[in-house]
Amino acid sequence: MSTETTIRVELTLDGVARTAEVPSGALLVEALREDFGTTGPKLGCATGDCGACTVRRDGEIVKSCLELAAGAQGCEIVTIEGLADGDELSPVQQAFWDEQAFQCGFCLSGMVFAAEDLLRSNPRPTDDEIRWAISGNLCRCTGYEAIVEAVRTAARRMAPPAG
Amino acid sequence: MIAAALRYDLPRDLDEALALLSQDPATTRLLGGGTWLVPELNRGVVNADRRVVDLRRAGLGEIRADGDVIHVGATCSYAALEASELIASRLPLLHAMAVGVTGGRQIRNQGTIGGSVAAARPQSDAPGALCALDAAAVIAGPGGTRRVAVVELLSGAMRTTLRRDEILVGFEIEQPGGGHGYHKLKRAAGSWPIATAAAILRLDGDGLIDRATLVLGGVCATPLVVPVADVMAGHRIDDDLIAAAAQCAADAVTEPWCDELATGRYRAAVARPVAHRALIAAQSAAIQQRRSQL
Amino acid sequence: MSATEVVDGKLYAGASVRRHDGDRYLRGRVAYTDDIVLPGMVHAVLVRSELAHARIVGVDADAAREQPGVLAVLSGAELARHAGPIPNAMDPVPVGGQPIALHCLPVDKVVYAGQPVAVVVAETRTAALAAAELVAVSLEALPVVLDAEAALADGAPLLYEEWGTNLLLSGTAGEGDYDAVAAASDHRIDGAITTGRSAPAPMEPRAYIADWDAREERMTWYGTTQAPHPLRHSLAGYLGLRERQIHVVAPPVGGSFGYKNFGHPEEYLVCLLSRLVERPVKFVEDRMSSLRYGAKDTRMTFQAAFDADGRVRAVSCALLANHGAAAATGAFGMAFAASLALPSGYALEAFHGEYRLAVTNKGPWSPMRPFGKETASLLMERVMDLVAERTGLDPADVRRRNWIPADRFPYATTTGLELDSGDYAGLLDKVLEVWDYPAARVEQTRAREDGRLLGIGFGFEVLPEGADIPGALIGASDISTVRMDPSGEVEVLTGVTSPGNGNDTAIMQIVADRLGVLMSEVRIVQGDTERCPFGFGNVSSRGILTGGGSAALAADDIAVKLRRVAGAMLEVDAERIVLHGGMAAVADEPERALPLGVVAHSLYTIGGILVPDLEPTLESTRTFQMRNVRHHPDEHGRIMPFSTFSNGLYVALVEVDPATGVIELQRHVMAHDCGVMINPRFVAGQFTGGVVTGLGAALDEEVVHDADGVQRTDVFKSYLLPRATDVPRFEMVHQVTPSPFTPLGTKGAGEGGVACSMAALLNAVNDALRPLGAQVDELPLTPERVLDAILEARA
Repeated sequence: MSTETTIRVELTLDGVARTAEVPSGALLVEALREDFGTTGPKLGCATGDCGACTVRRDGEIVKSCLELAAGAQGCEIVTIEGLADGDELSPVQQAFWDEQAFQCGFCLSGMVFAAEDLLRSNPRPTDDEIRWAISGNLCRCTGYEAIVEAVRTAARRMAPPAG
Repeated sequence: MIAAALRYDLPRDLDEALALLSQDPATTRLLGGGTWLVPELNRGVVNADRRVVDLRRAGLGEIRADGDVIHVGATCSYAALEASELIASRLPLLHAMAVGVTGGRQIRNQGTIGGSVAAARPQSDAPGALCALDAAAVIAGPGGTRRVAVVELLSGAMRTTLRRDEILVGFEIEQPGGGHGYHKLKRAAGSWPIATAAAILRLDGDGLIDRATLVLGGVCATPLVVPVADVMAGHRIDDDLIAAAAQCAADAVTEPWCDELATGRYRAAVARPVAHRALIAAQSAAIQQRRSQL
Repeated sequence: MSATEVVDGKLYAGASVRRHDGDRYLRGRVAYTDDIVLPGMVHAVLVRSELAHARIVGVDADAAREQPGVLAVLSGAELARHAGPIPNAMDPVPVGGQPIALHCLPVDKVVYAGQPVAVVVAETRTAALAAAELVAVSLEALPVVLDAEAALADGAPLLYEEWGTNLLLSGTAGEGDYDAVAAASDHRIDGAITTGRSAPAPMEPRAYIADWDAREERMTWYGTTQAPHPLRHSLAGYLGLRERQIHVVAPPVGGSFGYKNFGHPEEYLVCLLSRLVERPVKFVEDRMSSLRYGAKDTRMTFQAAFDADGRVRAVSCALLANHGAAAATGAFGMAFAASLALPSGYALEAFHGEYRLAVTNKGPWSPMRPFGKETASLLMERVMDLVAERTGLDPADVRRRNWIPADRFPYATTTGLELDSGDYAGLLDKVLEVWDYPAARVEQTRAREDGRLLGIGFGFEVLPEGADIPGALIGASDISTVRMDPSGEVEVLTGVTSPGNGNDTAIMQIVADRLGVLMSEVRIVQGDTERCPFGFGNVSSRGILTGGGSAALAADDIAVKLRRVAGAMLEVDAERIVLHGGMAAVADEPERALPLGVVAHSLYTIGGILVPDLEPTLESTRTFQMRNVRHHPDEHGRIMPFSTFSNGLYVALVEVDPATGVIELQRHVMAHDCGVMINPRFVAGQFTGGVVTGLGAALDEEVVHDADGVQRTDVFKSYLLPRATDVPRFEMVHQVTPSPFTPLGTKGAGEGGVACSMAALLNAVNDALRPLGAQVDELPLTPERVLDAILEARA
């Protein structure tokens, strides 16, 4: 059995078809950062605990340190760099800014995706639901309070106008 | 970064997966969700691994009912279990287990029930719940398919009786009826469970217990099936009976599991309250279930 | 409020302006160190020791060197030919400690499991990792010592044989005759508290890149550091270069908490490697490595003497701290700071503290907020609760009786600190405004009747901050430059850096107010030794104090000039010109106004005509220095190395599950006082973050080793940082007692919330356990420890 040291990975990255040669043992987060040049996802633990590497893969959020790059062949990957609509931040991104929901920003990729994912399925979450939704992501700076506030704010802004 | 060069394959069906695995089982690892295997590869725990066969497109993610038997594919994610109405209505214990898996939506999207059983970590949620449901593991190998009770499959901490050339295909579970309780004790949201208890109680037409199951997870190296039927079967359910059953759980813990999160002494000490809480929940669910049938 | 809104008649300072660069963060467009890729960059990977204490017999790198892509494999002995020991960020010798002389890789022995022993440099990280597996390190095991007491016992294995002891540092603090006061007091109590080992664990591990330019003989260094200028000085000494040959760039960091100050071996190692291979060299640590750096791990025993009325008259204590392996980061200072922070904000007649700091075969201590001061809070808050228990008084009343009264500031403590200002009883009043404390006690009594264990605990802290350490590059002063270009746009260059707390935005708020410009016209540059004036970075909660203070002074210089030019142009006295909203206007005549861009342009172009005696530039560089620090020892030999003293009082309500020992934190009310707040939201963020760090240390976070010294908690599945579901919604109230010594009335805010949360939890859990006669004195309060205490009391 011959094993190549690099493999060719083709995927859609933030809406753009991309191809790169990646080390065959690369984690998805490493390939995104080092071979596709998308540094929005961060590598904080490599054990699936901190969540900073979260991306959306084919519509589902995943921790990209738990995925092999090889397994992303043909997938559609959205990173935090692809969330905004041109100049317009997504409502979640905007709320995180307005509510000062980050300090160092290293956890943001994970937090924003966890919040986006929650609001897709549950537009009016309770605080407990928000906390549960972001509990796969660690933040050492904020104490989570402002993040919960931001998700609440985003939900309010995204709600269809009453009546 | 996994330093070694790795060959990755994504078989489209079980036969292809078995064929790939058979080429060199000793250096091949099967990938379910990756939540355990990928970090292990990344840490270089097993340097001999040169090939990964990813089972997620091999058609092993189905959830279906066949009469009284529910088939749960090995690569079903926790999110898939959570979303399945079949699971929610007929195997609510499995639903409760899946819903409570921590690590965020990401982990529930990625982690698979088969992966959890194959990894056989003492602290994982899924093995205990499956044992409580008397689940049978369906295993495919070069010689065909075999079935073995999950409780038999798990032979020790991080050990199963799966052979290296076999693939865990899924689980067959009979709908247990009655009511269930699931209780989990953790150190914090980020910790593995210290102890889990999965209880199923079913009442007959006279209100007597005709099925009583209690399985502790996390407390010993493998799920601990507590012989609660010995004290509960045929009896009318009440607080004393539940207390006796919980005591049964405590008595059953002879070789508790110990790790960096809790000593064996602590695990043994919480076996009783954790069992008790699951049994209480199962009691009310069983009573409710019986009422709904009357 | 966004940075582009016109603030009509209002000031930015005091308003919760959002981050000036938040959109870049939210788009993932901020380049942290590991995001930087330099042309030709190669990668360093460390080979680590599996043993906790061993003599290095040999490092066989032949097989690794032959691997494709490998540029160099070096052991500590080989590197020692190129450089000596790492300079210490703080030197323990002047305070009576042992000399620390650590090489960037150890030369003859390893002293903790996971310590790097060799380094591989290769074209790719994959190649370096693969080659590192082939490096054969031959070690001769030595006896391991992990416990501080055992390390100080006769015959203990010595980590640094040249010291002849494992005692890194010891000392005493306090004044007054404890024995005499205690003899005259009504009662005494004894107690002990132990803190487990915590890890700072910022989300971003450390990362460094060194780029040696052999042609220009210049080193450019990029990395996770809180202190670019002090690091430059340190690197120059280490490398034998002049400071002008070194350019330190500190990109945004993913959290620091003290961990990224300077003095870590790899900061120096990458420079040596880059010089050797003449390529840019990157090192990124993994999570396991970051979790090997710890703090706390301290055992405190105490005796307090008090009267029947609850008045605590004297405290005596002994601290024994476990430093793990030695470090060049100045982490030892946490033991020193702990001793000085005692006896917190309480007026005692006598205090006597002894501290000892031992080295052991655990990973090294790292600076970590609140830099040892949690020890002071835990000890004094436990004393207050024990006195309450013994006297039957309410714990709140005991504190009221013992706090330094608000009218006695500045107040000299028994350890020689001069506390700037405070109203500690006022904090309690603030807490009681949002929380019906008597009702909570009634509820507690009712719950106890039902067999439920509810507990209420107070935790109070006074945090010496704004450190100014003689002999070290840690000072309570900084330099800022403010300049306005002919378009009226403003640039602030400052020597303080931001760990992500928003101090950059807050400094912009201060400057924008002083100049009357919109914040959108201001930009700030930090973390670059070629562009920014010298500064001490961000340590000891001083970013706004000194960075904001110096920027305010510099901005004021420019404002004076703008007023004079505008006055000349509008034909009024300069004193009548008001700078606001991007305009220079005549006071009370808003229609007589000029855009500041026009004023600035006029100064640069026709300043000689308008105001002939004025220098025609708009740039000022000013230093701000805290004047209340004192380096000359007083008659007791004490210095005063801190400049502000923020404080807080927290109350926790917990319920303990008697069957499992699990603690549920139901309410956490926080009152804090850090003086004037430039941006209240940023301040709140500091405190909520600090609280969760404190709750982690109180409940979950603990580094554990096996008997051989191998760390068993090396991932976030076993080293348990609190998650969102582990903590309740906090209730926070502010009190503002300005510092009389700072120009803006501010105090530090970067370390608050940790210590008093730990103390509040310890007291609350003990309060909950009281009906059972059980007591816990070891943090974290794991369910196991709590259950053990319950079972012991029942036995």
